[in-house]
Amino acid sequence: MKSSVKLHFCRWDLIVAAAILLLAGGLTFGYWGQTVSAAGSGLTAVVSANGEEIDRVDLASLKTAEERTYTDLGYTLTVEFSPDGVCVETSDCPTQDCVHTGTITRAGQSIVCLPARISVQLKADVGQAASSGDFDVMIG
Amino acid sequence: MKKILSMIVLAAVLCALAGCAAPAKSAASSGGDGASAEIFAMDTVMDLTAYGDNGETALKAAEEKINALEDLLSRTREDSEISKLNAAGGQPVEVDPEAFSLISRAQGLGYAVDSTFNITIAPVVSAWGFTTDHYQVPSQAELSELLTHVDLADIELNPDGTVALKNGASIDLGGIAKGYASDCVSDIFTDNGITSGKISLGGNVYVCGGKVDGTPWRVAVQDPKDETGWVGVLKLKDAFAVTSGGYQRYFEENGKRYHHIIDPATGYPAESGLVSVTVVANAYQTSATGSGTMCDAYSTAFFVMGADKALNFWRSNQSKDPFDLVLVTEDNRVLVTSGLADEFEENEGSDYTYEIVR
Repeated sequence: MKSSVKLHFCRWDLIVAAAILLLAGGLTFGYWGQTVSAAGSGLTAVVSANGEEIDRVDLASLKTAEERTYTDLGYTLTVEFSPDGVCVETSDCPTQDCVHTGTITRAGQSIVCLPARISVQLKADVGQAASSGDFDVMIG
Repeated sequence: MKKILSMIVLAAVLCALAGCAAPAKSAASSGGDGASAEIFAMDTVMDLTAYGDNGETALKAAEEKINALEDLLSRTREDSEISKLNAAGGQPVEVDPEAFSLISRAQGLGYAVDSTFNITIAPVVSAWGFTTDHYQVPSQAELSELLTHVDLADIELNPDGTVALKNGASIDLGGIAKGYASDCVSDIFTDNGITSGKISLGGNVYVCGGKVDGTPWRVAVQDPKDETGWVGVLKLKDAFAVTSGGYQRYFEENGKRYHHIIDPATGYPAESGLVSVTVVANAYQTSATGSGTMCDAYSTAFFVMGADKALNFWRSNQSKDPFDLVLVTEDNRVLVTSGLADEFEENEGSDYTYEIVR
């Protein structure tokens, strides 16, 4: 009759077990941390004047709404950024199309002030998976 | 031996964990920005994005081409080929070969749609103030007189490369220039080996290939009633999509809204029951060169025609230059032609009803 094999933990077993736990814990935290961060943030507002990027705002980093002003070609726009979206609050441009656009909330949407040649685009953060309703470009 | 086994197990675990993490890295790189540019030209804002080694080179060439086309084709620039032609008092004018070719194509497309797209509508559009943003409602007498100068047959294209505008006609290529520009950018992308990119030239979209992760581009069709809303999303690869809508430019007077798409038959803003027309064509499927140009002209024409005539035209023109349509009607219907049945994603939260047309 064979005797059963007795298992003993040695020092190397403990090292391996500890390494696995540390790696698993670290990667799990990192993976879920990244996902939650992406889901929570998701959107970056990119402000450009005459085609040149002049500002960039991560909407998730905002605790409350924040106003910033931009001036180009003699016109000044007051833009409100909030965790939920972006809108042009006021503009002294003649057409007011930028103000009338209202609040944009999704990746792919933009507000354009043609007289001032200022635009605000919402872009999905890198690595953000597309969900239903997200789009790359709006036509119309 | 135990040490060796332990090391093997540790290595295997590390490899496995590294494998789990790999997709996140891949997804991040596929969502990169690529090279992008924003251009203000042709009285609109244009966004261009190109991925790949030659992305920046391609966008620089595209920007130069778009600016050159504006110099060539604009009706509001005194030194453009079109302005010289309009000011020639009916005399033959030698025009740039590219402008000649586009005028010829615009005339042909206009004939194909029974002049519902008509580049000689220029004086009527001016009378409404849509070229200057000084809007007004012209008198019926003024419109009746101006309409006598609206006729595609008044464009005389001569074999020596000259063009003459007879009977006091003048032309405006605004209804086709952005579509033509999108065709030119498509060629530039091809020449530079771009296999993934997108451009939006004020209502004219061209998507090159799919996204870098291989999935189709998601092109939302704007809700005519809500500037930030959409009626649906088109999932497209290698395609042109152009939308015309009365909501894009308009003014109100005495409680009535007047939009910028003029019916060449009446001189008034078209009232066909449609509020938005989107024309979609595969970039490599049509026999005609310039799918973007075609889509641009047809989107205006179908808006003027109305749904029934537009769908009849669609049914009878599928063998030669196939295209598909998304029509939004005044009574909140979205009509999608069958070629887009698998590519169109409804906005389930909207108050529209959706129909696939065959």
